[in-house]
Amino acid sequence: MATTTTEATKASPTNGEDKQSQNLRHQEVGHKSLLQSDDLYQYILETSVYPREPESMKELREVTAKHPWNIMTTSADEGQFLNMLIKLVNAKNTMEIGVYTGYSLLATALALPEDGKILAMDVNRENYELGLPIIEKAGVAHKIDFREGPALPVLDQLVADEKNHGTYDFIFVDADKDNYINYHKRLIDLVKVGGVIGYDNTLWNGSVVAPPDAPMRKYVRYYRDFVLELNKALAADPRIEICMLPVGDGITICRRIS
Amino acid sequence: MATTTSETTKTSSSNGEDKQSQNLRHQEVGHKSLLQSDDLYQYILETSVYPREPESMKELREVTAKHPWNIMTTSADEGQFLNMLIKLVNAKNTMEIGVYTGYSLLATALALPEDGKILAMDVNRENYELGLPIIEKAGVAHKIDFREGPALPVLDELVADEKNHGTYDFIFVDADKDNYINYHKRLIDLVKVGGVIGYDNTLWNGSVVAPPDAPMRKDFVLELNKALAADPRIEICMLPVGDGITICRRIS
Repeated sequence: MATTTTEATKASPTNGEDKQSQNLRHQEVGHKSLLQSDDLYQYILETSVYPREPESMKELREVTAKHPWNIMTTSADEGQFLNMLIKLVNAKNTMEIGVYTGYSLLATALALPEDGKILAMDVNRENYELGLPIIEKAGVAHKIDFREGPALPVLDQLVADEKNHGTYDFIFVDADKDNYINYHKRLIDLVKVGGVIGYDNTLWNGSVVAPPDAPMRKYVRYYRDFVLELNKALAADPRIEICMLPVGDGITICRRIS
Repeated sequence: MATTTSETTKTSSSNGEDKQSQNLRHQEVGHKSLLQSDDLYQYILETSVYPREPESMKELREVTAKHPWNIMTTSADEGQFLNMLIKLVNAKNTMEIGVYTGYSLLATALALPEDGKILAMDVNRENYELGLPIIEKAGVAHKIDFREGPALPVLDELVADEKNHGTYDFIFVDADKDNYINYHKRLIDLVKVGGVIGYDNTLWNGSVVAPPDAPMRKDFVLELNKALAADPRIEICMLPVGDGITICRRIS
């Protein structure tokens, strides 16, 4: 269950990596967490997550585990949390930026009522189509409106029409970290007052507190600055109340108050 | 910021401990967490918790820090989470079992609407009265109905009258762990369908995965966690906030 510590000393980017280091990283999937120990994380997964995981989510998780970029996927504990959160806030009209194979999308779709909606955006349709058959089999694909391409143009178009302001109950952002601040500037008008925006990966593998000279993968180091700035910006934004939850890789839950 | 590691080798119980070991335990308060490192926990506190903490909660936290049993208090990150959760679910009629000096009680009272209510129970009124002036100053004490004494008799009385079934939006349990299962048997009828019960300390300082011969008693926590996971009347989510909160949403 121990993660491979040699990983931390590798500095190669995700592109052009050899197959061996990709495999090493994949061993981490499902074991990586922000907690005291892998054992504790496994305890949570085995006691309360896996036994309750819907069959379709389990299937999607297993299909995703075989994919070379599976490090991007939403973890099972996070999927469970999102699913519960959607129900607790009675969300109906939602948005997701960053889909990958659709694990969090499925978690959301299963939680929404029959007439619930998700506007889902991702630059890569191919990955989404890996999970889509499973989402269809689960009977919830009709709730999803998938748009391939960058999110900013779509958001700008929505914001341009005031009728769209305050129409979203719940928005989940799990995408390119260097754009979160830009997304936020639009989402804060699109989410309703009292509604929720969730930003994923805001604790960035715990690297938010690593000393500057600590060994770090290139992409971790590159995006770390954006994550640190985002966290400061969200904490200072008077239009939201926030809560940083150490679920998965850290989700910051923002509740719009004005 | 490092926690005192000599603490983990102590096996003395909380009663009859000498003053020195009590002080050592108190140094941990505010640094103890379930996370990778104290630094990461401090980062969360300093970036997003303390800057947003209402003045009254800060004051209550500081008063509590001076109390000899302060290890029992709800942590600041947990208080913030409860406060947000109450608002997100639009709770109005709530309950709290286990009050101590009232940090989570205040977090809840601040989040509730003006006509919100909390039925709060604790065996010790003295500790509650330590925080009560601060809660009064915050203008929310009128929402609280405090009952001194064990909770089970109160719950039994409530359950006996069917009119009380399904009338609570939100219930927070942070009390004697060996009674959680007993509380749950009553609370599952008192909370509304779609409502939330939160059980605190369900990860018990991470000791849920310690070897069987480790000093901290955890059997009833392990049993509780198994029981909640197996209960078909609720959906659950174990959150590693504070010492671990299991959020249970009643579905039938």
